[in-house]
Amino acid sequence: MTTAALTAGLERIPDQVGYLVISEDGVLASAGELENDEHTAGVMMQMARTACRFRLSGSTDAPFKRMSVILEDFVYVVTISGQKVFVVKRQNNQHEPVNV
Amino acid sequence: MGCCYSGEDGNSREPEETDPLIPHPNPVSKPPNGTEWPTPGVPSPPTDGQALLTSILTKTAQNIIDVSAADSVVMEQHEIMDKARQYSTKLAMLSTSLPQKKALTLPSLTSQPHQVLASDLVPYSDVQQVSKIAAYAYSAISQIKVDAKEELVVQFAIP
Repeated sequence: MTTAALTAGLERIPDQVGYLVISEDGVLASAGELENDEHTAGVMMQMARTACRFRLSGSTDAPFKRMSVILEDFVYVVTISGQKVFVVKRQNNQHEPVNV
Repeated sequence: MGCCYSGEDGNSREPEETDPLIPHPNPVSKPPNGTEWPTPGVPSPPTDGQALLTSILTKTAQNIIDVSAADSVVMEQHEIMDKARQYSTKLAMLSTSLPQKKALTLPSLTSQPHQVLASDLVPYSDVQQVSKIAAYAYSAISQIKVDAKEELVVQFAIP
């Protein structure tokens, strides 16, 4: 898959404000609020690697499909596919429900 | 410590990687200071202070390699290249037999990254529940402590 094909899909993710595509060698693509953000890329890579080492008992595969780093206003959603790490920064629409 | 290579057999064999590069310049044939050589029939260390000192000195002299006294090793360029090639061949042989590190490769979590990333975010109620569970776990772990029942160090009582 070409880089353009990869990023076209990321652009269309609802309420995304930025994304990163990272490989073992470095950042392949970046946009929006994550454009040129190598620091965030490094942190996300490390977090993803650490999370991949967890194992649920009796299983040999990594126990998750997507990792979410949830901050108050934003969420970083991370997944790995084809030796590449995808990071998308989305607006957090999940807040405490207001009881009226 | 290994034996010294005398080099008198005509250099007929292939130089090995364990051969010393600098031939020992001072093969010990007589003890320093002209004192008596300890007789071979006495295996135990001499008890006399002076003789003890002498034996230490001879042992040290045997083990010291005087770099300045040795003939400088002149290796021609092609010899250096040969040795370098020899070492890298040996290294290549070894590296293919060593197991590759698997931890560095990233596992593939999905074949549909766009779909996974575009799916609904984690519901707030789930996040709240997980945060509560984590807080309970943290509190429980921080309460782990040692319940000391007896003294660790006691005096021996000799009746």
